[in-house]
Amino acid sequence: MSALELRGIVKRFGEVAAVDGVTLSVRAGEVLAVVGENGAGKTTLVGVACGLYRADAGTVRVLGRELPPGDPRAAIEAGLGAVHQHFMLVPPLRVWENVVLGREPRRLFALDSARARREVAESAERSGLSLDVDARVEGLSVAAQQRVEIVKQLWRGARVLILDEPTSVLAPGEIDELLRTVRALAAGGRGVMFISHKLREVLAVADRIAVLRRGRLVQVTAASEASAVQLAEAVMSASEDWSSTPTSTPTPSSSSLPRLLVRDLHCDDARGRPALRGLSFRVEAGEVLGIAGVDGNGQSELAEVLTGLRRPRGVLELDGQQGLGPRGWARNPGAARKSGIVHLPEDRHGRALCLPLTLEENLSLGWQARAPYARAALIDRPGRRRKAEELMAEFRVHPPAPLARAGDLSGGNQQKLVAARELRGGPQPRVVVAAHPTRGLDVGAARLVHAALRSAAAGGAAVLLISLDLDELRAAADRILVLYDGRAAGEAPPTASDESLGRLMLGQAA
Amino acid sequence: MTPRDRLFSAARDPVWAAALAVLTALAISFVVVLASGKNAALGLAYLFEGAFGGPGPLGETAVKSGVLILTGLSVAVAFTVGLFNIGGEGQLIWGALAAAVAGRALDLPAPLLVPAALIAAAVAGAAWGFIPGVLKMYRGVHEVISTILLNWIAIHLVHGWLVAGPLAARGSGSSVSMAGTDPIRAAAWLPRPIPGSRLDLGLPVALACAAAVWFLLTRMWLGFEWRAVGAGAVAAQASGIATRLRVCQAMALSGALSGLAGGLLVLGTEHRYPGVFRTGYGFDGIAVALIGGATAPGVVAAGFVFGAVRAGATRLQLVGIHPSFAELIQGIAVLLVAAPRLFAPLLIRLRALSRAPGAPP
Repeated sequence: MSALELRGIVKRFGEVAAVDGVTLSVRAGEVLAVVGENGAGKTTLVGVACGLYRADAGTVRVLGRELPPGDPRAAIEAGLGAVHQHFMLVPPLRVWENVVLGREPRRLFALDSARARREVAESAERSGLSLDVDARVEGLSVAAQQRVEIVKQLWRGARVLILDEPTSVLAPGEIDELLRTVRALAAGGRGVMFISHKLREVLAVADRIAVLRRGRLVQVTAASEASAVQLAEAVMSASEDWSSTPTSTPTPSSSSLPRLLVRDLHCDDARGRPALRGLSFRVEAGEVLGIAGVDGNGQSELAEVLTGLRRPRGVLELDGQQGLGPRGWARNPGAARKSGIVHLPEDRHGRALCLPLTLEENLSLGWQARAPYARAALIDRPGRRRKAEELMAEFRVHPPAPLARAGDLSGGNQQKLVAARELRGGPQPRVVVAAHPTRGLDVGAARLVHAALRSAAAGGAAVLLISLDLDELRAAADRILVLYDGRAAGEAPPTASDESLGRLMLGQAA
Repeated sequence: MTPRDRLFSAARDPVWAAALAVLTALAISFVVVLASGKNAALGLAYLFEGAFGGPGPLGETAVKSGVLILTGLSVAVAFTVGLFNIGGEGQLIWGALAAAVAGRALDLPAPLLVPAALIAAAVAGAAWGFIPGVLKMYRGVHEVISTILLNWIAIHLVHGWLVAGPLAARGSGSSVSMAGTDPIRAAAWLPRPIPGSRLDLGLPVALACAAAVWFLLTRMWLGFEWRAVGAGAVAAQASGIATRLRVCQAMALSGALSGLAGGLLVLGTEHRYPGVFRTGYGFDGIAVALIGGATAPGVVAAGFVFGAVRAGATRLQLVGIHPSFAELIQGIAVLLVAAPRLFAPLLIRLRALSRAPGAPP
């Protein structure tokens, strides 16, 4: 009997079938990886399995029992536990409180906290997850929060776990630990469905690997028989130009003035705690500088400072021009954009897109008052349409419908939309600030974005590539600067080993 | 979608959803009339006659529609930047007072005086609308609270002090019967081109405003920036749009439209600022914008419908039905537009129950 069985699942959004007749099962004791491009239907499939979406056709069975469609509670009760990309935790509460929230053990009319705490601690220990059950969630790292989510599902009696892109938020060392945990859970007899983009991880952790493409199941192979090359081919649609690995060399300007100079930069984070504490570095025109570091070491604030969203103290110069002060180019986002600074923000939904507006409107956002999007005070509708179609074709935005709403696109296509607008929508940028630009993207889309970043650099921009993914930094950056605790912990060439970068990321001298 | 978006979402559904809501509201209202033992068929006939039966009724419909379209546009424009302007009534009062003062004080020929008085009305309304915008963007005061409070400030400042004191009519001998300001000059009266009809320039002015608002929001990049702020303020700001400025601008235009509505009422109907001037048109604008889906064409359509209902409702007294019947219809229509959203969770649950029996417990 399969732990989880999906049979003939079809889910349409409007006219598009996001999942189109997928049949797939996870056995008890195995890890089934599901890989695929953005928009291939992975997250939709997870949604159907958990009862978040009601399928248009097909059935979901957990441990042989058919689930009523569109009923998340029934899925949980049947023994299905899902850890989503966005954690559903209450930050001020303790770990054990978060785990039992909603189904607290009671004694008479009161919460039986002793029992709850003990049970949570036992659940964590039995599955080998190290967790301080009394810690408050708001003080935990992302990796620890993820462990809380896993323990929550285990404590609720999940026999089948679905992990939706669990590694996209983790640092390299944490990824290895998670993969070990996943193996241990399977060894304990649970079925695990592991959704990921990263083929290397999938090959390391899975027993079987399923490939989705455009909503259909393309193949299911045993991990022992799969190779990264063959998987990559299966994942990518035939039209993808998989071979064009961009390899340009940086062309540092000969002048002594760097494109971007940051000296002794200080600023606070949104909660008023110091986030940048004396950061200094420089980037030349034509160079891609990778910014590495464990999440929360000042990367987000650096991106905000450079794009005018946050006021720092220190020195900020763009080709020698002052960025700070009432006339500086970093005084507000409008001024930063006028000075040629573009931004691929971390938070696509909130910061990069107006989800209710159309694709062409979103593509013009930020450039809306200039040609070809506008003529004098008017919107140049034919010009905007032409430019939008051109951008969507270049970045393979799917569907390339200028009047579709941005909120209806898949996450990966939304990111392509943002990349197209920022890198190609306006004049040649002088500085590109790209924060996790390929997070959640498939291989093909990630290459596209990297190539676009590269070509922006080749066109004379200084590119800051902020990422948690060392493979990405190695592939795309000319130099890697490691941030630790709001300062530059050190710098390394892209050839540096995981170990040496890892030491810098933990604040130890290289 | 925020709850507020849902309120205004009639435009995203087919137009007939709003039309159906209005028709159903009419039907329900007449069932109510039947239940109260009145002659509903005759009432319906009177309603139509009062709204469309000849130049007189058509003029009434036009005058009321013009004002409703303007206050509806006012709410719709504020909603474009994501603000809920409940302050139409206060903005309308200041606009009316400004028109009354300008129409009395300025000694100009009619072709100049009428536009001057209307501009004064728009400027006064804009100033009153600008305040909640500034309070919201720079002090974080929620616009629903500030606009409601500003309504009361306007009502009491104007009625309790200005119109009763400094601006009270002086020329008349029997001042008791003539509360309010001095009458405006005859040159400031809105021309009535059709004899026997109160049809005046108000409706053309309102339609021109609707066309201008439509053009601004859909054809100009300034309007696009407003919509971007309403659709995602954080993204709009990050893209370099001056969100605070845009919100204040939109609130000023919103106030100007309500102020203009007040100006039309004074120049076209009252010909002075009366002692007490509580029209309710500022609040009716909210209903018009809701049913019109907060778009300019929708507001024009909804404004016409409710203008006609209001004009026709005056005749309902002939069969013993109170003219506030118009408000009943309006209220039910708003409920019905919001109803699919109100009842959606219930429907989903019912559907789940009807499918569930096959599933194991």
